[in-house]
Amino acid sequence: MALYADIIEIVAPAEADADSRVDITVRIKNKYSSAIGIMVGGALEYGVTPWPGINFPDDTENVAGGVTHSFSGWFTMPGKGVKIHAYSYYYAGGSWYFDDEMTRAVDLAAVPESEFGSIEIISYARR
Amino acid sequence: MNGVYLPSQFGVIFIPLATVQVKTGDKLRVTCRYSHRGKAESVPLYAAIGNSGAFGFDEILHSSKTISVPEDVSWQVREAYVDITITSAISAGFYDLYAKIDGGIPRVISPTLHDVVEVLAAIPESEFGEITITTYAKV
Repeated sequence: MALYADIIEIVAPAEADADSRVDITVRIKNKYSSAIGIMVGGALEYGVTPWPGINFPDDTENVAGGVTHSFSGWFTMPGKGVKIHAYSYYYAGGSWYFDDEMTRAVDLAAVPESEFGSIEIISYARR
Repeated sequence: MNGVYLPSQFGVIFIPLATVQVKTGDKLRVTCRYSHRGKAESVPLYAAIGNSGAFGFDEILHSSKTISVPEDVSWQVREAYVDITITSAISAGFYDLYAKIDGGIPRVISPTLHDVVEVLAAIPESEFGEITITTYAKV
């Protein structure tokens, strides 16, 4: 249960292709009565150690009391399904304090049936 | 001159194609580039020599081999080749060339390359026509 920086939602696709960019949004609500600094963080769990991080170009924001802020982030989809771990922190007394965590799964998109797009002869030579 | 017309930033350009000369007993290696995505599978790569006309491609010599295409989660360009053995079934002359994937119902067919294969006339068996004495001298 979050004290101040409450993660409301992780917006992410249900599945993604390997090596594709996956854009996500983490919505965090300031439960405090006035503005505080809120920071977002994230990592991917899919069987590797350490867990790779999620890129949040703007990971901190002063959020007014009672307002929900959306943090945009992205990662590159590995060759298997992942569980997104999103974290929130609040700023007080010169330090950041961990506050909340939420997870969401992104499955690896199924490989489509085999198909061929084009063919061309690039060389022909006597052997 | 034989060649193909290809689109470019300058419009359509003409790329001249060299003619390869072959004779009976040779093999013609036809190398192809193809694009693929999806699950892995094994498919026949097929190439033929013949004459392209208004009613299709009249194949004279052809060959195929099974290629193993790996799983590609996105479009990938790959290359493979097939060898066509030149036999006496084809006579001397210039011929066209094309390739495809999947021999029965083609899944993808290459553009035809026109007059790029020149089959040379077979060299006849050794024979002698006549003999005459050209000189005679003491040695």
